Amino acid sequence: MAKTFKLELLAADRPFFIGECEHLIYPAQDGLVGVLPGHESLVTIVSPGEIQYKVDGEWRYAAISEGFAEIRSDYALILGDAIELPDEIDAKRAAEAAERAKERMQQKLSILQYYHSQAALNRAMNRLKVSKRHNHEI
Amino acid sequence: MANISEIRDRIKSINDIMKITNAMYLISSSKLKKAKKDLEATEPYFNRLIYAMRSILSRVPEKVNMRYFDQREDRKAGTRKKAFIIITADKGMCGSYNHNVIKTAETAMAQCNHVHLYVMGQLGRMYFQRKVREGELDVDTDFIYTTQNPTLHRALKIAEQMLKLFETGEVDDVYIVYTKMINSMVFEPKIQQILPLNVNNFVSSENDVTKHHEATFYPTPEAVMEHLTPNFMKGLIYGAMVESFCSEQQARMSAMDSATTSAKDMLHDLSLQYNRARQAAITQEITEVVSGAS
Repeated sequence: MAKTFKLELLAADRPFFIGECEHLIYPAQDGLVGVLPGHESLVTIVSPGEIQYKVDGEWRYAAISEGFAEIRSDYALILGDAIELPDEIDAKRAAEAAERAKERMQQKLSILQYYHSQAALNRAMNRLKVSKRHNHEI
Repeated sequence: MANISEIRDRIKSINDIMKITNAMYLISSSKLKKAKKDLEATEPYFNRLIYAMRSILSRVPEKVNMRYFDQREDRKAGTRKKAFIIITADKGMCGSYNHNVIKTAETAMAQCNHVHLYVMGQLGRMYFQRKVREGELDVDTDFIYTTQNPTLHRALKIAEQMLKLFETGEVDDVYIVYTKMINSMVFEPKIQQILPLNVNNFVSSENDVTKHHEATFYPTPEAVMEHLTPNFMKGLIYGAMVESFCSEQQARMSAMDSATTSAKDMLHDLSLQYNRARQAAITQEITEVVSGAS
């Protein structure tokens, strides 16, 4: 039995995963962060991307939009706006959202609207990426 | 004794109204179910968010400049510009729900000179727009949000707007007035300050938070806080919205339930009266016939 730590992945609309985990990899602002049991205390921002976590020797994957992570030696907490399993993602919808966001970004917009479109594009692209990577066998 | 046809008309109209109140009762009970489910689904997230916020605050290095925590003590109590987000219902027909919220808001507003109101819900907006006093009490007319089916997206938009107002110095304090559901029978209008953030406000039920050791903030404490604050505001506002929506539906449900019950009571009395009147008419006719025959 490998050493484990408690992992909580909470999305804004539901608790996504709570349980013991052996290894966690999540996207931070400038690259992936890997967490094993006994990690130093750390507080970071989570960027949109793919979370990987190992439960009972098996890797699981999920797409996360923006969030925040708190790591302690025996505990990890990730709060995300949305966390989804690869097969929950509607690839078609994500593609449409990406298209919409790209279109919007070409319009003349206020800075805030531009950032919103950019964030939407980011989220959509990330969803597409994660669903592509894990759904090809279906 | 009232006329037979009059009583019949009344019975008919009460019956019609009872159908409406009963339908409203059913609608609000199904909406309430959904609202409660939403609240349960998001609760862990926001409890954790508050917890995380507090634990970060307890570890953050002292000298970090956090603009959302700036209490602006140089502004005197009389000149502070205060913003209130007030959550009312879109419709009436829910007992004293709207009345209580409005009254709480007005009591709080009475103590300050410059008030900006951001009213959610048709009913409250109508009410406060009549009370506008130039320069002292403003209602933002572009702030049009419904309170039906609260969404995170709506909460985020509101949070962004409030943070912007706060940053640009247009307002110094932001409060939110909402209705808290204590249990299914008791609601309490509540008022809470959401900006500037105050460490002491984050005291929740779990008081056993231990002070953690120093932690590494990556990339910087400021960046983490900067990112967390809008999320946190969004959470606070969403929580208030959901809580209010739940209370509204619950209030409407019980108001409509009691309306239906009293309609039934009235129908009972009226049908008794109707039967009596009818019987009296018959008796009278018989007497007339009998007396005519003899």
